[in-house]
Amino acid sequence: MPPKAAKGEYIETDTGNKISRRSQIHGTQHIILGGKSIIQADAVIRGDLFRSSSSTSNPDSKSDPKPASSGNSIAITIGRYSYISRSAILRPPSRLHRGVHSYFPLKIGDHVFVGERSVVEAASVGNHVHIGKDAVIGSMAILKEFAYVLDGAVVPAGMVVPSWCVVGGVPARIVGEVGEGYGVEGAEGGMARERYRSVR
Amino acid sequence: MSRPFPYTYISCPCANTPAPDPFRKRKSRESPQKASPEKPRLEPQLDDDEDEQTFDPRAPRSNFSLYPPEQLLYCEDCHQIKCPRCITEEIVCWYCPNCLFETPSSMVRSEGNRCARNCFNCPACTAPLSVTTAENRGGEQSDPWVLSCGYCMWTTLDIGIMFDKPTNIRTQLSKLTTEPATPPSRTRQISKTFGDLKSPLSMYSSIDEQIPPAGEGRPGNEDAAEHPQNTSIPRTYDARFAALKNFYKDQIASTTASGVDPGDFGAPFSSPNTLHRIMSIYTATRITALYGTGSKKARNKPPVMREALSASEGLSIPKADSETALIQRMASDDCGWDGLASLEQRTFQSPDARFVEDLLPLPSLLRTKRSKRCKTCKHILVKPEFKPSSTRYRIRLIALSYVPLTTLRPLILPPNTSAPLPSLSSSAAPNLDALPPQKPVQLLLTLKNHMFDPVRITLATSSVTPGRVASKVTILCPQFDIGANSDVWDEALQSATAPDRSSRTSPYEKVAEAGKVWDRGRNWTTVVLEVVPGSLPGFKAPTTTEDESDDEDNDDNIRAGLDWSGQSKDPGQQVQPDEDVLEIPVLVRMEWDSDSQTESEQGISSGGRGLGGDAGSMKRELAYWMALGVGRIVSA
Repeated sequence: MPPKAAKGEYIETDTGNKISRRSQIHGTQHIILGGKSIIQADAVIRGDLFRSSSSTSNPDSKSDPKPASSGNSIAITIGRYSYISRSAILRPPSRLHRGVHSYFPLKIGDHVFVGERSVVEAASVGNHVHIGKDAVIGSMAILKEFAYVLDGAVVPAGMVVPSWCVVGGVPARIVGEVGEGYGVEGAEGGMARERYRSVR
Repeated sequence: MSRPFPYTYISCPCANTPAPDPFRKRKSRESPQKASPEKPRLEPQLDDDEDEQTFDPRAPRSNFSLYPPEQLLYCEDCHQIKCPRCITEEIVCWYCPNCLFETPSSMVRSEGNRCARNCFNCPACTAPLSVTTAENRGGEQSDPWVLSCGYCMWTTLDIGIMFDKPTNIRTQLSKLTTEPATPPSRTRQISKTFGDLKSPLSMYSSIDEQIPPAGEGRPGNEDAAEHPQNTSIPRTYDARFAALKNFYKDQIASTTASGVDPGDFGAPFSSPNTLHRIMSIYTATRITALYGTGSKKARNKPPVMREALSASEGLSIPKADSETALIQRMASDDCGWDGLASLEQRTFQSPDARFVEDLLPLPSLLRTKRSKRCKTCKHILVKPEFKPSSTRYRIRLIALSYVPLTTLRPLILPPNTSAPLPSLSSSAAPNLDALPPQKPVQLLLTLKNHMFDPVRITLATSSVTPGRVASKVTILCPQFDIGANSDVWDEALQSATAPDRSSRTSPYEKVAEAGKVWDRGRNWTTVVLEVVPGSLPGFKAPTTTEDESDDEDNDDNIRAGLDWSGQSKDPGQQVQPDEDVLEIPVLVRMEWDSDSQTESEQGISSGGRGLGGDAGSMKRELAYWMALGVGRIVSA
């Protein structure tokens, strides 16, 4: 990489993540980026909403600043070559667990695309998942690998989208399947490296 | 899923050369009026040489042949691209999309294709339901349990159903809805009170738990229990169906003489009993012809089967005023519009369900993993792993690993190279959703080879796109080679030595030249495509030259019989839907020597190759049409 202008749009980390200076990332110490991921401007990533490890009895434990030493405090994991578009919101899922409102980690795999203005509260998003723009992924939803969420879909809380399935609608339901060649490098679903290269 | 520009669709040739399937014959016989519109379209194709005909991506037929490349497969024995219409599918496994558990096919056959576990969809909004406690008292998770929808907040409490255990909800629910249907022969052992309690509105799910725990008085339930109607009379639709099924099973068992296989509704013709009956039709007539009518009565006396007579057998006679009662209920204030089930909701419910209170949670429909075969040669093209959660394939012959992967993107010249062609391309990327007419656009067409053999490509397109909006297309280098998809290491080593590979910066000095490729790499080649978007009907740009209007006239003549929208009052002025989309048909012809073909099947475990004979090098060629969606032309 040639040396860049000091005030570029993106900050590039050692592992090749490109993070827009205009993105809003909270709780950076609770976020893991796998490398070569892109976070565009105005994206909101709520790493500050993590599960406070020990004190389930203390409802105020969220505000209590715990050191990030315990393994439980990872809020958001994002894999390689994932792409968080403008104004997307990533928020760890939450649930009323044993009477306490607690957060669970949000795991995003490799080659994931999150469209503009989408809100993702999933429990896990598998590799090669495409989330269209203006989509809403409800709390604790699970998107398996190669799932495809159409633009404007609202995936209800707790829904499981199996691999290769296309979901759409409000509330989302399975409307079809992607072809066998989906996710092949360079074709539909396999454009993640291309996207990474195009961002500079 | 409509794609954003630019996109590529590949046309499967099956639309023009129909695969020999028995379906077609029958179809044409059944509906002659359906087949007749094809006639006039077939005529011109036969008139001139079919190879010469330009593929029209807008022709009504093309709707059925254009596919995104990743949906296409490739049959190695037919050497053809296979679209979803030229394959047959076989189910590999059934699984629930919610819990991702596999359901054995025997169970699917007997229980239906719905999840037998805890997976339900909301009857009101189709979102998945989750099992939660009815009352959330301070974190302790105890009975009773309900299914609740996280999307529309519907719960089974709305229809008065609660469950004792958070597991096996399906069986609990089916007990609640169908158990009263058990025929009297079986309910005899169960005491009356048990039967009373098992109305669908009863809160107790199983026989073992009907006695209410002390201190938990449920007055509503007692009302239901004391209802006189409830005694062993199936009340719900499912229960009535079960009762009728049981009744007919009994009837068949009692009336058939041999009693073989009494209730096998699934295979009525394969049972020896029915077979015997069918055979006796033929033999009996012959015997009657020979010996007269003497033995006929004794032989052919049909077994007397009675119909269901009582409600416990599944008979339901609607009351005379039941319809008016329904209407009154609909008209009453406490029902209202919100109390009525919508049509979409009712399609998945029993026919009796009219009101929101009648809606039952829907066990989720199972999904399948399917393997795919070529329809003509029956070879397996796609075979996924059996496990539902696995995304691997044992066999996957996709077209993308054979035909070159095509990508199209606008050529962006930096602003400082202003000198050569200032009019050709603006400095910024052209907005593909609003292409100005008559303004040339240069595009980069990249073809990437995934085969292990070098491929020679010939691109062909008509100079003017078919249709009324005639855009001029020029492929600056229609014939070129693409390197083999060799080891990535080769590229790395080559690029270390060869300086010409470092073309990352060079495009900025380059100018598109006719007859020269724009750029090439290990297994890809880029050529330049020059497009002059045509003007839309009703808009005449001043730059329109004489010969171009001639072209347009010709195209109008060709298109005269092709009004597919049926709403063009004034075809000269109106733009048909999507007529402003600039789609370029390109014929791709690829030639290669298939000497190392076995290597090209990476990741294919089966060695079942049909090409045992041609071990040596062999010339192959494949030609197909593709449609490049460049953009949308604006009218002004």
